[in-house]
Amino acid sequence: MTNVDDIISGIDTLRPIPPVAAQIMALAEDENSSMSEIADLIVHDPSLTASILKICNAAYFGLSRRVDSVRDAIVLLGLDEIIELVLLNATAENFRDEPDGYGLGEGELWQHAVLSAYAAKILAESHGFTSQKHLVFTAALLKDIGKIIMGRFVAFSYEKINILVHSRGYSFNEAEKEVIGINHEELGARVGQKWRFGDQLIYMIRHHHMTDKTARDDPETALVYLADIICMMIGFGTGVDGLAYRFYSEVLDRMKLTEKDLQNVIFDTGQRRQKLDKLLYLV
Amino acid sequence: MLDTHISHQPISVMTAVNFGELKLSRNPAETLVAFSIGAGIGVTMYDPVIKVGGLLNFVLPDSSTMSSSQAQFHPFMFADTGLAAFSDALHNIGAKTDNLKVVIAGGAQIMDQTAAFNIGHKNHQAVTSYLGEKKLAVHYADIGGIFMRTLRLDIGNGDNLIQTLGQTEAKV
Repeated sequence: MTNVDDIISGIDTLRPIPPVAAQIMALAEDENSSMSEIADLIVHDPSLTASILKICNAAYFGLSRRVDSVRDAIVLLGLDEIIELVLLNATAENFRDEPDGYGLGEGELWQHAVLSAYAAKILAESHGFTSQKHLVFTAALLKDIGKIIMGRFVAFSYEKINILVHSRGYSFNEAEKEVIGINHEELGARVGQKWRFGDQLIYMIRHHHMTDKTARDDPETALVYLADIICMMIGFGTGVDGLAYRFYSEVLDRMKLTEKDLQNVIFDTGQRRQKLDKLLYLV
Repeated sequence: MLDTHISHQPISVMTAVNFGELKLSRNPAETLVAFSIGAGIGVTMYDPVIKVGGLLNFVLPDSSTMSSSQAQFHPFMFADTGLAAFSDALHNIGAKTDNLKVVIAGGAQIMDQTAAFNIGHKNHQAVTSYLGEKKLAVHYADIGGIFMRTLRLDIGNGDNLIQTLGQTEAKV
């Protein structure tokens, strides 16, 4: 077994999320924060402002006139969209590299992260969690950050993991834990602790595969879990772990999600996926 | 001096068939490919006599569960509307039902996925029932499991290549 401390020390190789994005994440997580507080944070950061204006002025958004200020961008695109762009912009750099071990090509982990984030938002909006949609978006975006560090350890132990998954009925994250001593969810939560994410965000990253039974009662974590499995079913940015994660129908039952609802969310996420390629390379 | 040699070999092209798309081809140098198929199913149909074929990459079993506009504008997302459009399009370019070589790949499932929510299984049922009704035999099926698959159809010779990520590769 690899020394888990060695793996955890790999967190230092990630590029930390810029402080302003971390503040925006914290505000987005706080139900009592106001939209104008978030807008102020963006306006007062020149480098973030420049990135946001550059993205907003790209042909992708099809705006009829040039956007010269963050206030303008917020008016034209809406604050929700701007917050999402800030979050994507803050996380893109870490996710773009090709992590070893999961059989993913360049940018595929990033594709999966972004599509999961939009799927989680679609679910949040259609199931009465609008006040939590930024938190759910952020958690879905960051849930696999542990994979960036885990990749080379998974590559090293792949044969053993593969046997457990395909011959002994382990899910991929159970096999990671058994063979390596830690899995990508636990490692992702460690990243969150080191980067001082809020407790709820860390919890959602830690339990996004719902292995812990109590997490299945947490509705926000459930949205992130569902978004993840929907992206697996769609098959976007999924690697050698494939669909080797567990399905808990009680999570869908508790969310009162019917078979038809699930198909609708898959359809809507699929529509989003067709538009995503252009956005992915803008941020 | 310029090299005046002109190659008579056609330049081979690979065309991606994304999720929710249908593509047909009669270009013998073209390979149609659907990358990373999850619970959806990639279906290829090929007429070896006139050397035309196509690939449908659908993800949901039944368009009737959606609003009619969704199905109308995105027919290739669904087994029923996608397969019907696929058959019509092949027929229109001169393919004969009796000649068709049909290959299906995908329909993967999350572990322990229960019946009602098992989209991969429902997709398989939908494609099987459609092909049964049309009396089309399946030449090769690689369905289910927890794997992602890539399906290719070589228009020049009608060969299919099915790759399962991290696992196997089959030429059929």
